[in-house]
Amino acid sequence: MGSILARMGLCLGMMRLRMTEDKLKVGFYNITGCAGCLLSVLFNEDDLLHVAKIIDIKAFPFIKEKKNDGELDVVFMEGLVASNDDVKVLKEVRKKTKVLVALGACACTGCIPAFRNFIQKENYERKVFLRKLELRDQKPVPIDKHVKVEYYIPGCPPDKNEILTFIKDIVLGKKPRGYDKPVCFECRLNKNTCFLDKKELCLGPITNGNCNSVCINGGLVCWGCRGATPDANFETMISLLKEKGIKAKDIKDRMKTFVGLKLPKEVIR
Amino acid sequence: MTVIKLNHITKIEGHASLNLSIKNGKVEVCELQAVEGSRYFEGLLKGRRYFEASEISSRICGICSCAHTVTAIQAIENALGVDVSEQTGLLRELVTIGERIRSHATHIYFLALPDYLGYESALSMAEKYKNELSRALKIIKMGNGIVKVVGGRDLHPVSLTVGGFLKVPSEEELKEIRKELELIKEGTILTGKLFGRLEYPEFVNKTEYFSLVKREEYATLNGDMVSGSKRYKQEEYSKYLKEYHEKYSTANFVVKEGRSYMVGALARVNNSYKSLSSDARKILKSFKIEFPNYNPFVNNFAQAVEIVHFVDRALDICDLLKVKEEPVKKVRLREGHGISAVEVPRGTLWHEYKLDSKGRITYANIITPTTQNLRNLQDDIRAYLPSVMKLSKEKMILEIEKLIRSYDPCFSCSTHFLKVNFV
Repeated sequence: MGSILARMGLCLGMMRLRMTEDKLKVGFYNITGCAGCLLSVLFNEDDLLHVAKIIDIKAFPFIKEKKNDGELDVVFMEGLVASNDDVKVLKEVRKKTKVLVALGACACTGCIPAFRNFIQKENYERKVFLRKLELRDQKPVPIDKHVKVEYYIPGCPPDKNEILTFIKDIVLGKKPRGYDKPVCFECRLNKNTCFLDKKELCLGPITNGNCNSVCINGGLVCWGCRGATPDANFETMISLLKEKGIKAKDIKDRMKTFVGLKLPKEVIR
Repeated sequence: MTVIKLNHITKIEGHASLNLSIKNGKVEVCELQAVEGSRYFEGLLKGRRYFEASEISSRICGICSCAHTVTAIQAIENALGVDVSEQTGLLRELVTIGERIRSHATHIYFLALPDYLGYESALSMAEKYKNELSRALKIIKMGNGIVKVVGGRDLHPVSLTVGGFLKVPSEEELKEIRKELELIKEGTILTGKLFGRLEYPEFVNKTEYFSLVKREEYATLNGDMVSGSKRYKQEEYSKYLKEYHEKYSTANFVVKEGRSYMVGALARVNNSYKSLSSDARKILKSFKIEFPNYNPFVNNFAQAVEIVHFVDRALDICDLLKVKEEPVKKVRLREGHGISAVEVPRGTLWHEYKLDSKGRITYANIITPTTQNLRNLQDDIRAYLPSVMKLSKEKMILEIEKLIRSYDPCFSCSTHFLKVNFV
């Protein structure tokens, strides 16, 4: 995740898309996922119709017939790669868009389905008989393992406002702002009682915020779905949690749940 | 020989394709393929703690995340012998209702309606059908609002847990919800009328209609399974429901006692229309649509009727609830085995878990509504084809897509599974 800021710098030039009076040609796609991220776009109920006026939604198969969408300026892609079909769709879409945005945790970090990389095959397969089907499976990975990604909107689900702000920014030709403060920053502002003080497994300190600490507000510890802050100190986080009596395996499993593939290898060993 | 392959059907949740070949007026091949990547949730759950089941299984699906959350929790509670308070039961029902409203409204207005009005999408309807679309968004917002207030977040809720709620809504928040429900009522009645007036294709294919039923109640969180006059116990579901696999689809199919069946709003209305609220029953009777009804296209209308009913039920719950801070029930770890069936937007959802003495999941099985419907949907496509075969290819495809969409299938849900023994 630390590379996001670097990538954003490189992409400054790309955001000069808004030079003409033409609306941005935008696509919303998903590969393997739960559709929650696309729904997060739609569930901006008060703003959806306005958004549909200020951008030209050329492609959105979830709610729209397919047409020859042609070249696109920006594509929001939800989902992780889990099948051959996903790779095909992802590569086709990458070819036809100037900017690709990884929307949500599956696309950004692999999310829960990618946890499969850390468990024994025997856990999820009994007799493998369906050769044809098995060959369709791909190693479950976030999309940037297959194609170049310009922006990331993390979270499971992503924050509806963050999506809206991103769209506003690109329409105005602004460079979308990054965020690198841990969840704890907003959590304290929201006056929550700290879970770490209650000896619970909360990953707030190493997780990138801008989610308004929604989980802690609702009584749940942070599971780290938005990925690590650029300066996350995983070792200290782990020893801090161990000091509170939490087992190393539980800590690592929790850390790997949403973002395992993007954690440093030493951390997850 | 006509060969039609509908790749990546639009306006459905998840990814599916349809393979059809018709020779001399006979349907040779009719294969509904889920092409969604397999995510192996039952395998991901193995080895996890009992309280993680809801967090993880919630991610099977965005639009029915509360469904998985609630069902997982109830199944785990059954395994551990945990009884919850009446308040918890009502709050869970309320969050389930919020999801029902948002899911149905999203489906009927955004996925189904454009076909009937001749538009490629709900967004392209925005000019001519501004009122209907704004209404749809208000209803969706209402449903999402309930889930947010009770569950902590509108998708993948955070406040529900084994034993109760990590945080309960305040009296003010519930008062606000109640106010919003009153304001949205008219919109839901208009929705019921809109979908009652639509011209559904005349297609009847009677099957078995399977849903939770409870006396005097429109069952949601518990009850017995019922199909016609037959009653089944939830705990024995493996005796009458069998999952099987076809090579062409990443989703399982399910049969009940060897036969296809239908779950969802139509099945529920067919089994329990006498328990609908009076306003919902009024809408139900206002159109020349008989109930019980055996036309799958009418599932759209049944969903609209459910929205009316559930606004009324949500108002009742708001009146019943005198919400107070309540600790989550303590859990005593022990080996256990629990099953729960819950009525969720697309039909009955099943979760089953086995736990070891340390509270770790050793086995998980999840059967989603769409998985159960796929066999019946496929059979319906086969049966419907003769009446649309003579249309232009374009019109025939639209009719088939309308049929598929009327089931409101969720292919993300149906393709979550564990690889199965195949004999």
